[in-house]
Amino acid sequence: MSELVRLSDITKVYQGGVTGAVNGVSLTVEEGEFTAVMGPSGSGKSTLLNLIAGLDRPTSGSVSVAGSDLGRMSEAALARFRRDRVGFVFQFFHLLPNLTALENVLIPAQLKSTTSAEASGRELLDQLGIAEVADRYPAKLSGGQQQRVAIARALINKPSLLLADEPTGALDTRSGDQVMELLMELHRSGQTILLVTHDAKLATRYAARVISVLDGKIVDDARLETAERAAADVIRVRGEEARP
Amino acid sequence: MSLKYGLLGLLVEEPLHGYEVKNRFEAMLGGTWEVNIGQVYTTLQRLERDGLVRPAGERGDRGKLLYEISDSGRKALNEWLAQPESGPQELREDIYVKLLLAARLANGDLGPLLSRQKRAYLQRLRDLNQLEARAKKDGRTDLARLVRGALLHTEADIKWIDELSETGISGESE
Repeated sequence: MSELVRLSDITKVYQGGVTGAVNGVSLTVEEGEFTAVMGPSGSGKSTLLNLIAGLDRPTSGSVSVAGSDLGRMSEAALARFRRDRVGFVFQFFHLLPNLTALENVLIPAQLKSTTSAEASGRELLDQLGIAEVADRYPAKLSGGQQQRVAIARALINKPSLLLADEPTGALDTRSGDQVMELLMELHRSGQTILLVTHDAKLATRYAARVISVLDGKIVDDARLETAERAAADVIRVRGEEARP
Repeated sequence: MSLKYGLLGLLVEEPLHGYEVKNRFEAMLGGTWEVNIGQVYTTLQRLERDGLVRPAGERGDRGKLLYEISDSGRKALNEWLAQPESGPQELREDIYVKLLLAARLANGDLGPLLSRQKRAYLQRLRDLNQLEARAKKDGRTDLARLVRGALLHTEADIKWIDELSETGISGESE
């Protein structure tokens, strides 16, 4: 595996408040990893994601993704980087209401090239199980469908890195599970994924690496064992035992 | 207690030999509780002594005895099922004692203890997640429910560790 993301001694200070600040974080992510970043609200976990995505610049330290140092990029180069290399999935979908599902999916492709990506867009929607809603407007879609449209939009330019910030936060359990299963399938086919969540159940279910963030610092970086264990090695149900 | 009533409950379905009732009990628990056959026989004998089960017919093949539930057995079982669990909460894991002791011995610096414990809980969560997925795949929704309970408990354990880490608790007991 080769290194995809490298944060070196990143600090991000926000004027007038400490919420979301990041303080001396170093971190690398390998290609193909499914990593969860976990922490309470205000811990700085979303800030980290925004720095990796080139949506925000650090106060000090450097961010490099796929070998490019984001700090050296002009605003225009950074915009191209975001368009071509990073896919985003947010908690509240962020679809444009006056465009159909398919048109939403195609936005990043249209910004990149004049060649029509309609066929790829339809194929992606099909892969995500929502081919039939391609021509509908977001208001006519369920939350789970909207999030799948957002995932298709994030994938249309074949990004090196898929960033998901609480992608199930606005969904009911069932739709949330479906969305996460989709991300897991993408991961199995090689997609590098960085998931931000406050939910430890969710993080450990999908990610083999769980990074805990607290007060702008990484307090733990756990690579979990993935081998299946026998039930008795995981849970023991035991009442009061009969005396011999 | 739960072994006693577990066996009793399985005998409601049909009369069973000691071995059968052991196997069914373990299958019901999905491998999360292995019972000693001797313990099963002792329990059945005690149930018989108390009139809650009785032998059904004579000893059969190789001296195996079939047990069936009695009317007072059914009554006792129903009372047990209707009774909520209201005893004190049992905190059986070593971490509770470790925490108290480390607070005294390590001058209140619990950081390393807490982060190692959190990692162990994360691993447990992952294992439980896999177990839940397997139970669902096998159509064992009953087991999946049990595992879900364990998952939520472990999530609470993690929240507790996080809270202790955030507040940076000290060793003082006052």
